Amino acid sequence: MERIMVVDDAVFMRHMLKKILSGAGFEICGEATNAKEAVEKYKILKPDLVTMDIVMPMMEELDGIGAVREITKFDPNAKVLIISVMTQQSLVVEALQAGAKDVVPKPIKADQVVEAVNKILKK
Amino acid sequence: MENSYHEIFLAESQEYLNTISQCLVKIEESPHDLESLNEIFRAIHTLKGMSATMGFEKLTQLSHHMEDLLDALRSQKIKANSEIIDTLFSCLDILEALIEGVKAKKKSSVDINPSLEALQKFFAPAVKTDEFTELSLEAAEFSDSEYTLFKEKKAQGKEVYKIKINLNKDCAMKQVRAFLVLTNLERVGEVLKYIPSVEDLKEGRFGFSFIVVLVTKENMEAVQNGLLSITEVSSVEIKSLVESLEKQAAPRAALPSYIKKIQSMRIPVERLDKIMNLMGELAIAKIRLLQIVGHEKYKPLEEVAFAVDRLITALQDEVMQTRLLPISYVLDTFPRITRDLAKGQNKQIELEIIGSEIELDRTILDELGDPLIHLLRNAIDHGIESPAKRKQLKKNQKGKIFIKVVRQKGHISIEVSDDGRGIDFESVAQSAAQKGMISKEEAVALSKNKSGMLNLLTSPGFSTSDKVSEISGRGVGLDVVKLKMEALGGGLDFDSIPEEGTSFFLTLPLTLAIIKAMLVRVRSEIFAVPLMSIRETLKIEEDEIKLIKSFEVIRLREEIIPIIRLDHKLELLDLKINLKDEQEQEEKLSIVIIEYGEKSVGLMVNQVLGEQDIVVKPLGSMVKRIRGIAGATILGDGRVALILDIMTLM
Repeated sequence: MERIMVVDDAVFMRHMLKKILSGAGFEICGEATNAKEAVEKYKILKPDLVTMDIVMPMMEELDGIGAVREITKFDPNAKVLIISVMTQQSLVVEALQAGAKDVVPKPIKADQVVEAVNKILKK
Repeated sequence: MENSYHEIFLAESQEYLNTISQCLVKIEESPHDLESLNEIFRAIHTLKGMSATMGFEKLTQLSHHMEDLLDALRSQKIKANSEIIDTLFSCLDILEALIEGVKAKKKSSVDINPSLEALQKFFAPAVKTDEFTELSLEAAEFSDSEYTLFKEKKAQGKEVYKIKINLNKDCAMKQVRAFLVLTNLERVGEVLKYIPSVEDLKEGRFGFSFIVVLVTKENMEAVQNGLLSITEVSSVEIKSLVESLEKQAAPRAALPSYIKKIQSMRIPVERLDKIMNLMGELAIAKIRLLQIVGHEKYKPLEEVAFAVDRLITALQDEVMQTRLLPISYVLDTFPRITRDLAKGQNKQIELEIIGSEIELDRTILDELGDPLIHLLRNAIDHGIESPAKRKQLKKNQKGKIFIKVVRQKGHISIEVSDDGRGIDFESVAQSAAQKGMISKEEAVALSKNKSGMLNLLTSPGFSTSDKVSEISGRGVGLDVVKLKMEALGGGLDFDSIPEEGTSFFLTLPLTLAIIKAMLVRVRSEIFAVPLMSIRETLKIEEDEIKLIKSFEVIRLREEIIPIIRLDHKLELLDLKINLKDEQEQEEKLSIVIIEYGEKSVGLMVNQVLGEQDIVVKPLGSMVKRIRGIAGATILGDGRVALILDIMTLM
């Protein structure tokens, strides 16, 4: 079973994502509420995939994109799926440049999330 | 939906509402504050997403429309004006009402249609996708120099393809998909031409398809399959092309920074109070322990007792810290209040707050809101002049109110200043004379006396304004501000220069849970008198007590001070030892002079024992209302001492 880490500053979104992903047969191996925590936990948990909210409060100079960058630096094969509002496209592009694999728009739909996760993991 | 979601939704939505309100105030001040616009946009967007997921239709719909308007503001399609801000504020109120409805778990009767219509007025329709001309692969044209370049590449043994990429018609993130397509193409080769331009593609300014010319060593099928694997790419048309190159870095969007979130744990206040109470008992037990190890036979325990002493003192400090909250809990609402009041009176006012991060005991914080709002309202109502008047006076048309919170040793001081008309002592004194509050002679004297003026301003029922504003309807006057400050063990002072402004200064203790007190003995009972109310203590001879009518008084430096015999007052008379007899033996009487407001009273006690930090413990409900007693404390030797309530004693 593939292990997924969920990163989002909103408890609500984390709940939704965890529900969707565990419902689709994935193991939620951890969650983080800010960029810094995400990077730290990634290094310990080494999940197969990370879902990452791109717009999160700055944490010690680290935002969502910075977290993607740090994670990819630590693990060049890291698979990060961006979860973002549609209107933040330029940020998403930056995150993809930093090494993220794909993006699912908010408000999230269960099938879109599962499809994107499957696609990334198969690659 | 499950209950836990419900709770989370309510808690988080409240945070977002606060963010929105704060940002709106900022945007009103500076309409080009992109940071705030982005922040508010993010808040409303998240709120919308949450509401949609929870199935709250009205909330979703309203926040969706607000989001549209905010997006237009953010992308500078529309310029923020006061009408827009007002509408957004009124929508915010509706959002709040809707969320209240969710909280009450009732179907809300709030009508959002007027808000939607109001929003619609400003809403410029967004650029529609079908306004982009449909591209055709065949029709794509290239210039001569471009053809020359294509031919050169072909001569180098590479393939040149023209490719049309079609995205799903419901594609949500065209810009992102275009980026993914371009990255994919750049991996396999070199893109010579983009239709529309690469900038347009990166900004999402295109229909649902675009064309590129690619130079690559890969075969056609591999390129096509690579592109089809990208999410939301619906089809790829590709043709070989037998026949300028600039790669510009995408403009890097500046990262909006968002306010820091409070990362904390919620603990019921009740529990903190219990911990504080236990802490107090522990501190007392510690003192007893230290007294016991003073004995020779417990000498081996001494070291450990001192360690316990140190640890408990440190723990006590920490526990005290948990009771503290930043004063921003009160001040965060002020920008909105300022805005609403200023608007109502057609005044322009800028509010600056410094030190809102400073922490205060929550019991003090609870009491502080009303007095501060009153001072703020005073500054707006009576202080800041109308823009026309200010212009005439050659002042900045925008008035300024300044709230500064500073932590000083053991105290917090809060300054509320404005640069308005100031207080005209003479006219205040005259107005008081007209109301019959003071005599004409007093009025003349008062117009030159600041502390006298403060007394007048803080007398009940005094007001220079005939108008009653929305907030003054609460009936909080300067007199209440003063009383509140005194009840909290703090003080009120002011400074004013006519035509230049007024400053009010509040001073407050950091906490009410542990206070300094003077211990006194009355017969065999020990009482604690809060040190902050004590003016002085003295010893007098019995014959210094004079009678004025039937009241006992003493004369102290030209001042007549009434005397309260505490044993009479507190009805300790049934005890055998008579205060007077004992006093006579000691020849001198101990008097503690206490002050409350302008009044001073001397308390007659048997003995002044000394000063000590005491932990205030509230009384049980049975005895709570006894006049003269504010609480209790436990002394080092385990005895209970009652704390005198100066206010009701006088």
